[in-house]
Amino acid sequence: MRLRPIAYGDHAALVDLARGAGIGVTTLQPNEERLGRRIEVSVDSFDHRLEKAQANYLFVLEDTVSGHLVGTSGIAAAVGLDEPWYNYRVGTAVYCSREIGVYRQLQTLFLTNDLTGASELCSLFLHPEHRRGGNGGLLSKARFLFLAEFPDLFAHKVIAELRGVSDEQGRSPFWDSLGRHFFRMDFSRADYLSGVGNKSFIAELMPQHPVYTAFLSEAAREVIGEVHTSTRPARAMLESEGFSYQGYVDIFDAGPAVEAPASAIRAVRDSAVCEAAAADKPDGSLFLVSNRRPHEFRVVLAHGAVGEGGRFALTGAHLDALEISAGDSVRVVPLQATR
Amino acid sequence: MDRLVLRPATYADLPAVERIAGASPVGVTSLPRSRDKLFDKIASSQASLSADVSGCGEESYFFVLEREHDKEVVGTAAIVASAGFSEPFYNFRNETLTHASRELGIHHRVHVLTLCHDLTGATLLTSFVLDPAYKDGDIPDLLSRARMLFIAAHRQRFADNVVSEMLGVCDEAGSAPFWDSVGRHFFGIDYPLAEFYCGVKGRSFIAELLPQHPIYVPMLPREAQDSIGQIHPFSRLPCEILLREGFETERYVDIFDAGAVVQARTEEIRTIATHSKAKVVAHPADVGGSAYLVANLDLSGFRAILANAALDDERGEVWLSETDMQSLNVLAGDTVILAPL
Repeated sequence: MRLRPIAYGDHAALVDLARGAGIGVTTLQPNEERLGRRIEVSVDSFDHRLEKAQANYLFVLEDTVSGHLVGTSGIAAAVGLDEPWYNYRVGTAVYCSREIGVYRQLQTLFLTNDLTGASELCSLFLHPEHRRGGNGGLLSKARFLFLAEFPDLFAHKVIAELRGVSDEQGRSPFWDSLGRHFFRMDFSRADYLSGVGNKSFIAELMPQHPVYTAFLSEAAREVIGEVHTSTRPARAMLESEGFSYQGYVDIFDAGPAVEAPASAIRAVRDSAVCEAAAADKPDGSLFLVSNRRPHEFRVVLAHGAVGEGGRFALTGAHLDALEISAGDSVRVVPLQATR
Repeated sequence: MDRLVLRPATYADLPAVERIAGASPVGVTSLPRSRDKLFDKIASSQASLSADVSGCGEESYFFVLEREHDKEVVGTAAIVASAGFSEPFYNFRNETLTHASRELGIHHRVHVLTLCHDLTGATLLTSFVLDPAYKDGDIPDLLSRARMLFIAAHRQRFADNVVSEMLGVCDEAGSAPFWDSVGRHFFGIDYPLAEFYCGVKGRSFIAELLPQHPIYVPMLPREAQDSIGQIHPFSRLPCEILLREGFETERYVDIFDAGAVVQARTEEIRTIATHSKAKVVAHPADVGGSAYLVANLDLSGFRAILANAALDDERGEVWLSETDMQSLNVLAGDTVILAPL
């Protein structure tokens, strides 16, 4: 397996993959035209033809044996710069009267654009058959090597919006208690409209005043800041990389936004530049290894260790996958944080 | 039929007023179950009646309805010259926000309740409580509308609009669906206790505890939504009278139980718009004529009754029976104020 930027030739394979993603992955909707546009945006981004406001880098995980696409991951350079980016901030309002001895803390949702300008990890999807053997880690964390290599393309803050709680039918208790009153449509439809880039309707329809969560159903209150069961591993992974929940949630399903300064992400901070070397069967723990190239960016997962003089030994197959030779420069980082 | 006279309350009425307050439901905060507070109300009324007043301010006027033959008090009603003069007067304002997206073809209206002080400074009608034995017939009109005659007679003492808070719905145990869905979250106490504090502690704590942001009505439970603008059976009678007088119910509701807050322009209130002033001509027996609310022009000596009278607008004279003149404490040649019943 290797990660590489998406290319025009991947369109059909991407459409197939998106059909398997389902409700809730708002940035990967199975719409041929939009996915085609998405590829174009990514290609133009890698070619530095777009401003930060538009740039969005999409990577694919490719089976180097079969040539099949099995997953996607992306980074938006900066959210909210050409249309508003909304989150609820889960805040506190205190109501207190000394005279009658009452003190109340009320959880309150404030509609904000606070995360405007941040880079966003997005479009993470791995085909269920390939959710094993470090593929998920490679697909998601390879982005951090790109961030480490090209920090000027991104913001100082990196966020990820995690899918909130919904049931098998795609019903979100948070949506049913809040958004539905204002949108008069199902969560899945609102989610679709949002995913296909139709964001202006949010401003037009969402409540503009703060919302007391005391007025929400208990089921809705319970899912604020909680992730969908299938997203728990992703949340744990991001937290192990230094991301944390700072009280911002999605306005539709109340899934948490997690955030970290780019330079403080473990895989960015601990990554190191090495010289590639060839070996038949390198020993060591799993590393992410990138070829450091801005256009033909490639990342693989390889066993190895940083040796004397900053050398990192790779098999011939890995050197081929990275499209480099012994002696070329690579950036490496352990796949997992060491305790 | 019993002859009833409305007059300002005096200290001697305190035990009777206390009895009436005790029989009124939770939520009638203008008539607290506290002897000290009721004493203060009478004192404030007495002071207001004897003060030389040129505008409306802190005055309040507290009236009782007395059965003439045994001097029994059977009802109370009051006027506060200027709501919110000494402590804030809060209401929720009914507002409609339009949420529309042309792109999606969505256009709908969302009902919100916004805390406001809009009615600050309005003249407030309060404390309407009547012995149920008199709920049929014209006596309720006398108790309620005599206040309009008082306002018309002493117009400079009152504001240009008049409001009245109707009791909202609650059950016998005193729990109100609107309170349970809204106020309880902010106050953390039961509705009767909140009303009790309101009656005896003043209303400043309300400012500290009420929701500062608008409340989106569609998010409230159904029974709370349904109770907005509803009126407790206790307030139905006074509300009907005020609606006949031209009061409107649409804009404002009470912050605790969401009962309707009715309002009218002072000059457009029916009794005030149709009132006349005329000199009394004594008539020894039954006058005939038609039914009127009639009052004298005194302050401390204010009296209002229901009477048959014959009004001659051109001459500015009104024929009243001697019995009615005695009840009103007027002599032939005195000026009275009257409006058709």
